[in-house]
Amino acid sequence: MKPMLEIDNLSASIGDTAILNGVTLNVKAGEVHAIMGPNGSGKSTLAQVIAGHPNYTVTGGSVRFFGNDLLELEPEERAREGIFMGFQYPVEIAGVNNAYLLKAALNARRKHRDEKEIDAFEFLQAAREKMRLLDMDQSFLNRGVNEGFSGGEKKRNEILQMAMLEPKLAILDETDSGLDIDALKAVANGINTLRDPERAIVLVTHYQRLLDYIEPDHVHVLSAGRIVRSGDKSLAHELEERGYDWLKEAASA
Amino acid sequence: MNQATVQPELLQAAQSQLAGDALSAVRRTALDAFTENGLPTLRDEDWRYTNLAPANELSNDWLRRVIDAGSDARPEARAASLPDLDVHWLVLNDGHVDEASLAALGSLAESGVTVRHIADCPDAVTADGPYDRLNAALLQDGVHISVAADASLDRPLAIYFNDGGTSVSQARVIVDVASGARIDLVEYHASGAADAHFANNVTQLNIAAGARAALVRVQDRDRGHFQVGKLTARLHADAVLDYASFDFGGALVRQDVCAEILEPGGLVRMHGLYLADSDQHIDNHTRVDHRVGPAQSREEFRGILNGNARCVFNGKAIVHAGADGTDAEQSNHNLLLSANAEIDTKPELEIYADDVKCSHGATVGQLDDSAIFYMQSRGIGRDRAQHLLTRAFAGQILRHLPIDALQDHLVARIDERLDTLLEETVT
Repeated sequence: MKPMLEIDNLSASIGDTAILNGVTLNVKAGEVHAIMGPNGSGKSTLAQVIAGHPNYTVTGGSVRFFGNDLLELEPEERAREGIFMGFQYPVEIAGVNNAYLLKAALNARRKHRDEKEIDAFEFLQAAREKMRLLDMDQSFLNRGVNEGFSGGEKKRNEILQMAMLEPKLAILDETDSGLDIDALKAVANGINTLRDPERAIVLVTHYQRLLDYIEPDHVHVLSAGRIVRSGDKSLAHELEERGYDWLKEAASA
Repeated sequence: MNQATVQPELLQAAQSQLAGDALSAVRRTALDAFTENGLPTLRDEDWRYTNLAPANELSNDWLRRVIDAGSDARPEARAASLPDLDVHWLVLNDGHVDEASLAALGSLAESGVTVRHIADCPDAVTADGPYDRLNAALLQDGVHISVAADASLDRPLAIYFNDGGTSVSQARVIVDVASGARIDLVEYHASGAADAHFANNVTQLNIAAGARAALVRVQDRDRGHFQVGKLTARLHADAVLDYASFDFGGALVRQDVCAEILEPGGLVRMHGLYLADSDQHIDNHTRVDHRVGPAQSREEFRGILNGNARCVFNGKAIVHAGADGTDAEQSNHNLLLSANAEIDTKPELEIYADDVKCSHGATVGQLDDSAIFYMQSRGIGRDRAQHLLTRAFAGQILRHLPIDALQDHLVARIDERLDTLLEETVT
C-alpha cells in the first residue's frame, strides 16, 4: 500500500533559524504514529508545516499527500483535502460562534467535494452525539470559539472539531499537554473512536503518558530537526525510562 | 492649510432674504451668536483633526445662490428610497418636512405622540455650538416630537434624512419625552442624490423623569456627502438615554453627542460602530456631563478602517463637583487593516467629585493572524476568515443595539459594508 503522507528530506526554518533538517517519514492509512522528542526538537514545527502555517519557510524536501504536492496548497485547501491539525494552543476567537465555525468548516469541505451543505438538524444531531462522547456540555456550541475555555475544554473542542470533520489525516500537536487525568481519558477516548482503516493519526507528544491510552503502531524520535530513531510502542517506554539525552548524543555522534 | 470658514456677511445677507415667519427671532439670535463666535479651526482642541473647509465652502456657495435667487427655493421632492423596516417613517427632504409623511403620523396622537413643524414651537430651539448656531441662523423647517407622560409607541419612529438635492441642508429635530414615557427613535441618514452635499443637522432630546429614549443613528450617506451632526440630550431623574450609532458612508462626517445628567438616577448608554475605507473621514465626539450622582454612563465605540480612512474618537466624561456616586465607563477599540489608515482616539475623564468609579481605555490593533490561520486550518478561506473576524469585532457593538426592529437590517448592512471594505485589503 502506498503511503498516504510522504515526507521526504523536509527542511524548514522560521526567519533565519533552521528547525527541520531533513525529516523523512511515511504514514499509511489506518496507522497511528507518535512523534516524540525533547522541547525544541521541531515536533510542533513539523505539524505546523504540514498544516501550512505561513510563519515557516520550507527550505528543502517535499511533502506529498495521496501522491500530490501538499506544499503548494493554501492551508484551507489542505484542510479541505482532509488534513486536520489539532493545535497545541487553540486560538480564542471572541465573537465567532463555535457552532458557526464548525458548520462553516464542514460546509467548506462538503463544497470542495461537490456535496450539498449540511442541514441544521443533521448538524446538531451529529454535534450532540460527538459532544456526549467527549463529555462536553452542549452549551459549548453557542459560545465563542475557545472563548474563556479552560485548557482541557480547548483540547476537547479540538477533538470535537476533528470528530465532526472526519479527516483522512489528523495531526494532533501536544493534545495531552495541560490535561488532568479525566480530560486525558476523554480526549484519548475520542481519538480512539476515530481510529479507522481509512484514517491516519499522527500524535505529537513530549510524554509517553498519552500513549498509555492510545496505542501507536510506530514511534519516532525527533531531535535537532531530524528523526533519529523509529520503533514500535516499546520505544516510547524506553524513552520514559531513559529520557532523551542518550538519543541526542547518538544524533550528534 | 485651507481653512475656509462660513462668512457671517453672506449668512446675514441670505438670512435677510428669507420671509419673516415664526422662526425669524430664532434665526436672528443665532446669527448674532454665530457672528460673535465664528466657526472653529484646526487650532481648537475639539476640532483639531477634522478640517471642515470643504463643507464651509459648500455653505458659502449655497448662501450666494440664496442671495442671488432672492429666496431659498424649496427643494424638489425626491422619492425617498426607504429601507424595509417595521417603523413609522417621517421624511425630511433637505431638512424640510415631507408633508405626506407628517400627515400619516397624525394617528400617533392616539398613543400620545404628536409630531409637528418646528415653527409651531420656536422657543424650543437652542443653539450653543458653532455649527448648531449655523443651523439655527437659517432655520426654516424641522420637526418637533412630543411624547406624552407614560406614552409609548407600537413601533419605532424613524426619521429619514433624504438629503442631496440642494447643496446644503439644515435639519433640526426636537424631541420632548415626558415623564415615564418610552420612545424608540431612528435617525436614518441617506442620500437622495449623489451630489456634493453638506448636511448640518441638530437633534435636541429632553428626557423627563423616569422616561427612556432610545436613539439609533444610521449614517449611510453617499461618498460625496459632508455632514456635521449634533445630538444634545438632557436627562432628568432616573431618565435613560440609550444611543447607538452606525457610520457606513459619507466623505467627511463629524458627529457630536452631548448628554447631560441633570438629576440623580440617570443612565446614559452610548455605543458606536464606524466602518471606513478609501478617503473617508469619520469623527465621533461624545461628551457626558455628570452634574449629579448617583448616575451611570456606559460607552463603547469600535471602528474598522481600511485604505486611507481617517477616523477620530473623542469620548469625554466630566464628573462635576458634588456628583458623588457617579459610575462611568468608556472604551474605544479599533482595527486598522491598512498601513495608511489612521485613528486618533482620545478617551478623556475629568473628575471633580470624590466618590466616583470611572474607567476608560482605548486599543488599536490589526486582525489576529493566528485566528485567521486557525480558521484556514479548518478549511475556511482566508477572505472568509477575515470577514468573520471583522464581523465578530463589529458584533460587540451590535449586541448593544437598543432597538430590535433594526437588528436584521443592520446585520445585513454591516456584512455588505465589510465585504466592500475588505476588498481593499492587500494581503
